[in-house]
Amino acid sequence: MRAPSVRSIALVALGAALLLVGSWWGLVKAPGEVFMGDVQRIMYVHVPTAWNAMLALTFAFVCALFFLLTNAWQWDDRLEAAMEMGVVLSLLLCMQGSIWAKPTWGVWWDWDPRLTTTAVMVFAFGGILALRAFVDDPVKRAVWSSVACIVAFVDVPIVYFSVKWWNSLHQAQSTPQTVSSAFHWPLRINAFGTLFLWVGLVGLRAQVAALRRRGEMAPPLPEKRKAAGRAPVTGGAL
Amino acid sequence: MSGVIEGGWEFVVAAYAVSAAVLGAYAASVLLRFRGERARADDESERMPSR
Repeated sequence: MRAPSVRSIALVALGAALLLVGSWWGLVKAPGEVFMGDVQRIMYVHVPTAWNAMLALTFAFVCALFFLLTNAWQWDDRLEAAMEMGVVLSLLLCMQGSIWAKPTWGVWWDWDPRLTTTAVMVFAFGGILALRAFVDDPVKRAVWSSVACIVAFVDVPIVYFSVKWWNSLHQAQSTPQTVSSAFHWPLRINAFGTLFLWVGLVGLRAQVAALRRRGEMAPPLPEKRKAAGRAPVTGGAL
Repeated sequence: MSGVIEGGWEFVVAAYAVSAAVLGAYAASVLLRFRGERARADDESERMPSR
């Protein structure tokens, strides 16, 4: 437990390597899109980030359910790690989307259904992370954040289906059916790269949460002696 | 107007640079926090009363 998990480190390294290959393919080898030209190359990082942000938050939802059903602490550690990863990916998603929106829509941001529901997702899960930081009792923190995560998760399918349910400035979901076959490989490689990266990082982050929780739940320890060889202070020897 | 976007490489570079910076910074923060927590745990086990 004290050493970083070899599997997590390997997944992070594999994810980073795949992202390098996929990004090179997307930037250099793949053709430009007919209408968007080179700007469409942002899709190779934006779409995998979107898929994986929702996947990480779905994993957080599963962890919350498992914690409430089993009371096993490892699910709370994974919940904290997956929510944090999901928020980081969702924030990155908004930044990439903004950069793509400016040359294609003419604005950095628009309160359209997809963007608004994504913003709600970021603030909801970010709020739960803030709640966790303010609660000292590990039991209350775990139960409250699990329940809050289940409630906040309602927004995740709404984000996914928002472009189908409402008229949106945002394009429809990018899937192999809606994207030209020339764009498939860099999209797939970056999607798996991001997946491996976040799974590895969630593994490491869950180890951090477990170490911190054990420290919180351990009984108080004696003060560290300031000078080596100095006798501990005892009472009543005047 | 042809309806086709020309240029825009600066936006592409910005999107990839932001992605690399955010993911790299988060990975570094996780590793640093891991080292910090491990050092704290080692310190606590050192302070544990011996049997």
